[in-house]
Amino acid sequence: MAKSYDAIVVGSGACGGWAAMELSRAGLKVLMLEAGSNVVPAHDFHHRFLYEMEFRGQNRPGALRRYTGTERNYRIMLDSTENPYTTSPGTSYQWTRSRCLGGRTMHWARASDRMADYEFKAASRDGYGMDWAVDYADMKPYYDRVERFIGVSGAKEGLPQFPDGEFLPPMNLNCAETIFTAASKSLGWRTTHRRLAQLTRMLNNRPPCHYCGNCVNGCDVGAMFNTVAVTLPPALKTGNLEVLTDSVVARVRMNSENRAQGVTYIERFTNKPVDVDAKYVILAASTLENTRLMLLSTEGGLANSSGLLGYYMMDQVGGGAVSGILPKLRGGPARLDDGKSAGITIPNFQNIDKLTARKDFIRGYVMNATGGQTEYPQYAASVPGYGSAWKKEIKSRYVAQARVWNAGAEMLAQKENFVELDPEVKDHWGIPVLKIHFTHSDNDRKLIADFQEKAEELFRKAGGEVIAGGGRGGPAGFPGGPGSPDATPGVARDRLGGAIHEVGTARMSVDPKEGVLNSFCQTHDIPNLYVFGGNAFPSTGDKHPTLTMMALSARGCDHLLEQAKGKKV
Amino acid sequence: MLRNYQPKFFPAADFAALQAFTEILIPTDDTPGAREAHCAHYIDYLLHAADDVAPEMQKQWRDAMAALKQAGFHDADAKARAQLVEEMSKPERDRSATHPAFFAYRLIKQQNTFAFYTSRAGMIEALEYQGNSYNTTFPACDHPQHHVV
Repeated sequence: MAKSYDAIVVGSGACGGWAAMELSRAGLKVLMLEAGSNVVPAHDFHHRFLYEMEFRGQNRPGALRRYTGTERNYRIMLDSTENPYTTSPGTSYQWTRSRCLGGRTMHWARASDRMADYEFKAASRDGYGMDWAVDYADMKPYYDRVERFIGVSGAKEGLPQFPDGEFLPPMNLNCAETIFTAASKSLGWRTTHRRLAQLTRMLNNRPPCHYCGNCVNGCDVGAMFNTVAVTLPPALKTGNLEVLTDSVVARVRMNSENRAQGVTYIERFTNKPVDVDAKYVILAASTLENTRLMLLSTEGGLANSSGLLGYYMMDQVGGGAVSGILPKLRGGPARLDDGKSAGITIPNFQNIDKLTARKDFIRGYVMNATGGQTEYPQYAASVPGYGSAWKKEIKSRYVAQARVWNAGAEMLAQKENFVELDPEVKDHWGIPVLKIHFTHSDNDRKLIADFQEKAEELFRKAGGEVIAGGGRGGPAGFPGGPGSPDATPGVARDRLGGAIHEVGTARMSVDPKEGVLNSFCQTHDIPNLYVFGGNAFPSTGDKHPTLTMMALSARGCDHLLEQAKGKKV
Repeated sequence: MLRNYQPKFFPAADFAALQAFTEILIPTDDTPGAREAHCAHYIDYLLHAADDVAPEMQKQWRDAMAALKQAGFHDADAKARAQLVEEMSKPERDRSATHPAFFAYRLIKQQNTFAFYTSRAGMIEALEYQGNSYNTTFPACDHPQHHVV
């Protein structure tokens, strides 16, 4: 007979970790299932210099074709041969995933911005798409709760399009960020410190950041928010949580009363299927994995009376960046510029009201900027020449590097962007994989073109010398970002990508005909099935999505617990 | 790790030529150069590790070394080698210039740059990288001239 729990949480990332914590603290017996391996930060994460690694961060030639990530962090990413996916012909989508305890929280960029009413109610303002089934007033208490617990450093600005939160003190700005702040101010644009789930002082027994700059390789002390250091310890302390790693969930099982009975998972190394039951099933396996599980669970997809499961997939528009040097900083002394792996934020200032409405495009984007020394001088090989003079030039530029990148550009929700099960391709365990249909709209392109123009304007205002336009953004050391040895330089400016911010595919709606989930991320059709992640998003907004996903999860947990109380779990 | 490394990929004559080439590109001056960073050794190590998994990468390097030999680099003396590198690198600064071994120059320069600036000698001693360390605070910009544009 299947073992039974009060709740099963599928996935251990930001949302799964939060749900496991809330529910186990409330007294529910919870099982968390994670498809990937266990992670022990003190054992697995170290400060390693590139020269201490066999292949200097690049891994053995050919190896990273199989693993996402770098030699430092591939173990907390994913084995692509075990977990393939497909895209429709002529299109591409870079689906960056993690399979390990903690999921993508183990290496995320930590940006924690609240979404605002101008995003929740964007459709009412400009007529495109659908409003969210929640507004800022609904979300505020949950943003408060999540921020207080995970710790977000930032500064209050009083901007309606960039709502303030419960912040720890902000991190100091380095020289390049100070220059960009001055430049931005002189253009009339507001700036603030990037808001990061990274501690600037002790919180809940977690130490503050030690500014090593290694965040994306796994934080060895838990100063940045991740499941393993932050939400799991209090959950495990209750004695109500059981965690199983290397357990690949294959489907949700239903009973005859239109309720989820439990799930079937496959033991990763033995291939043995195991059934477990629960009164509540919470999918928190990442946005697209959640939808894949719902599609796998029954013909036509679980909880799909609306017919919209899988549709309206979005990801904030990636692409657009300016890099170069700030001559003011040339030849200066060595400084710890990349130790916080952060930067400044310029909140969106267009299309936020009638006054700022643009005629040529709707919605907007957030800019980030930083600079200074990075671990590896990515520009070096493209500087002409050689010899001692070349070496001096490399050194002189090293502390003067600067970049502005697109930190979140809204991608319009379109029904033709969707995911389905691939009819042929299966993963390592024989489970059908996702086929992704993903293309950009004209509005997406216009947004990035406008970003590129403004970013170059900011760069020039700062006195900067633009060396490369276009290309991928991201803070130093971020996979694919400038400053990391694995960056992809020189990507053409019209080539748009994603931002590892995939959302949608089971959008929330007031009317069950118009979406899959209600405002509590409970499925309209199945009362004991909740879906936490980005699935509920009817639009991307221009903020990094994780904080909103967690706040939605917190709200969903409250709803689940009220339901459970009524039923005396 | 590389100090006592014996080349496994390049034949001896090619390795000696590569080593000399890397030292012209990144010489030892007031800071360490390719020699101290064992750049040629690292490149050999990397290419040896590419056995079976990245044959196209190995072929590129064999072609490059053949082009270098063809250009006369192997047998040239120090002065002539410096002159050769100067000629080979010309297309980098002058788009109308060409050289049959330019691709070899670019390939070696790229991998040599990587090998050097990911080494302790390049990253810590030459560039004085400050990160990847434990710090109590993050240093704020304290330059009044950076607060205005």
